[in-house]
Amino acid sequence: MSEKESLLTAQIIDNRRVAPAHFLMTVRLPLSFATPFPGQFVMIRNDECDGPLLARPLSVYGFQRQQDHAVMDLLYRVAGRGTSLFSRMMPGEELCFFGPLGKGFSVPTGVKRVLLVAGGVGVAPLIFLLHKGLLPAHGKGIIETIFYLGARTAELLTGLERLCGSCDLKICTDDGSRGYHGPVTGLLKHDIGGFDAGDTVIYACGPKPMVRAMGNLLQDAPIPCQVSLEERMACGLGACLGCAVAVRTGEGKTDYRRVCKDGPVFDLRDIVFTSPAGP
Amino acid sequence: MGPKNKQESHNSPCLAVAIGGLELKNPLMTASGTFGYGEEFAPFVALNRLGAVIVKGLSLEPRSGNPPPRIMETPSGMLNAVGLQNVGARAFIAEKLPFLRQYNVAVIANIFGETVEEYQRVAEILSGAKGIHGIEINISCPNVNKGGLAFGARPDAAAEVTEKVRGETDLPLLVKLTPNVTDITEVALAVEAAGADAVSLINTLTGMSVDIELRRPHLANITGGLSGPAIRPIALRMVWQVANAVKIPVVGIGGIMSAADALEFLITGASAVQIGTANFIRPAATMEILDGIVNYMIRHGIGDITELIGSLNTNQAGEG
Repeated sequence: MSEKESLLTAQIIDNRRVAPAHFLMTVRLPLSFATPFPGQFVMIRNDECDGPLLARPLSVYGFQRQQDHAVMDLLYRVAGRGTSLFSRMMPGEELCFFGPLGKGFSVPTGVKRVLLVAGGVGVAPLIFLLHKGLLPAHGKGIIETIFYLGARTAELLTGLERLCGSCDLKICTDDGSRGYHGPVTGLLKHDIGGFDAGDTVIYACGPKPMVRAMGNLLQDAPIPCQVSLEERMACGLGACLGCAVAVRTGEGKTDYRRVCKDGPVFDLRDIVFTSPAGP
Repeated sequence: MGPKNKQESHNSPCLAVAIGGLELKNPLMTASGTFGYGEEFAPFVALNRLGAVIVKGLSLEPRSGNPPPRIMETPSGMLNAVGLQNVGARAFIAEKLPFLRQYNVAVIANIFGETVEEYQRVAEILSGAKGIHGIEINISCPNVNKGGLAFGARPDAAAEVTEKVRGETDLPLLVKLTPNVTDITEVALAVEAAGADAVSLINTLTGMSVDIELRRPHLANITGGLSGPAIRPIALRMVWQVANAVKIPVVGIGGIMSAADALEFLITGASAVQIGTANFIRPAATMEILDGIVNYMIRHGIGDITELIGSLNTNQAGEG
């Protein structure tokens, strides 16, 4: 993180349903707000209502600077009480807001081919990465970007309007209602052998079973994969140590890292898949 | 004091408190485990304005902590079972303390061990470090089998560890008590007799929550420590009991989110308070609480915070 995170009140400009239980919120921020790197997140909380205690981490979906303010897009799925309350907030209402937080994705040099693998609302940081980190590098090395986008059903696919025409899009649905019938990792498994590990990089974000499947799939494939993890957080600042993920350290030992501060983006090969509740 | 002086003092009330020989510029401390090693909060908090920073609990050797999931939100609170993950006392001194030394704020090292000897060794190491102003003994972590609760739940064991640590350090010594006991005053009295300069209470209450779809506990550790506003009335009751039982200062902890909450504890008899879970929710919580206490004192014409401490009026309603 090159710039400081800030703590402020953000005003909702728009907050609308884009798919069943999926919402797109747009907030207005001061120009002083640091430009987030793809993969970074923000913590938001409705300070006004008698809702949940803890702020909720949401990854950045879009960010633009305007003349006198900045605008951030957040794509979220209603998963519990906190996000349910967000979904009922109206334009003009305010959120307690801090960020940008965490370490984002990096684009290594010498990459020719990029695979983006998204499950469900995990599409959000990958679309931000595509627009801010990858498309500007097209023609300067990257020759091909393939986006594997998966959801349970066709109507739960989000972010399509931001993807059309910008990359080679491969859609997967668990129920077969659109595109490949099966999980996104199922289609990737078919294709994986065709990519050269020397010039390909994978970026992934999705639910825990998908991350685990990616771990299994890439166990023997030497293609590097950066994965953005999701974990319950209390502070988002690295203090509560609540969002631990088990990783292999350089010395070959297993230790815990903080998803909020050491991540949320990790090298998939470093992640230790242990407990059934783990990533 | 002349009228002019009085007026001035009311505009900038005196907030200084003494906690067992530790002179603090105000009664606001950050609770161990909720403020990292201070650095994480520096973008949001003027550390110089805090009474004290109590750092994440330190052990002799680094500890990696419990497997995830480690936290779960519950009504008006959260469960945590972090398992005392920390860098270890020596790494703290080498890597974390230099940052805190830049600030004019009292640094209190929270310590724990699996044995009395380990507590002693940690206290000895930290007492020799420049920039540590006090020691808080954690005999109350509910998340690690040998994380102190074994000492904190029994008055004789609590007294033993206090006495042994007392022998290793001349720094002001706080003992952090667990609420997971039948009578907290027994433990408080025991550690007072063993040489504690102050007691801080309460640590978290042991709790549990279950995912009914998976029929699994939400926490990998199964149980965790409950913190946040949910425990505040219990904490306040225990501060009341202990403040009436011991002669040493009591530091109140438990779900303090606002200035009003902090004032409740001070009025009830706490000489200082620790802000914990609130730091997670609003990183600048300590600053807001401090400003709120000053405003309250100005509004009530209170020139010195010591006038407020233990000023609870328990006369029957209507009489007082």
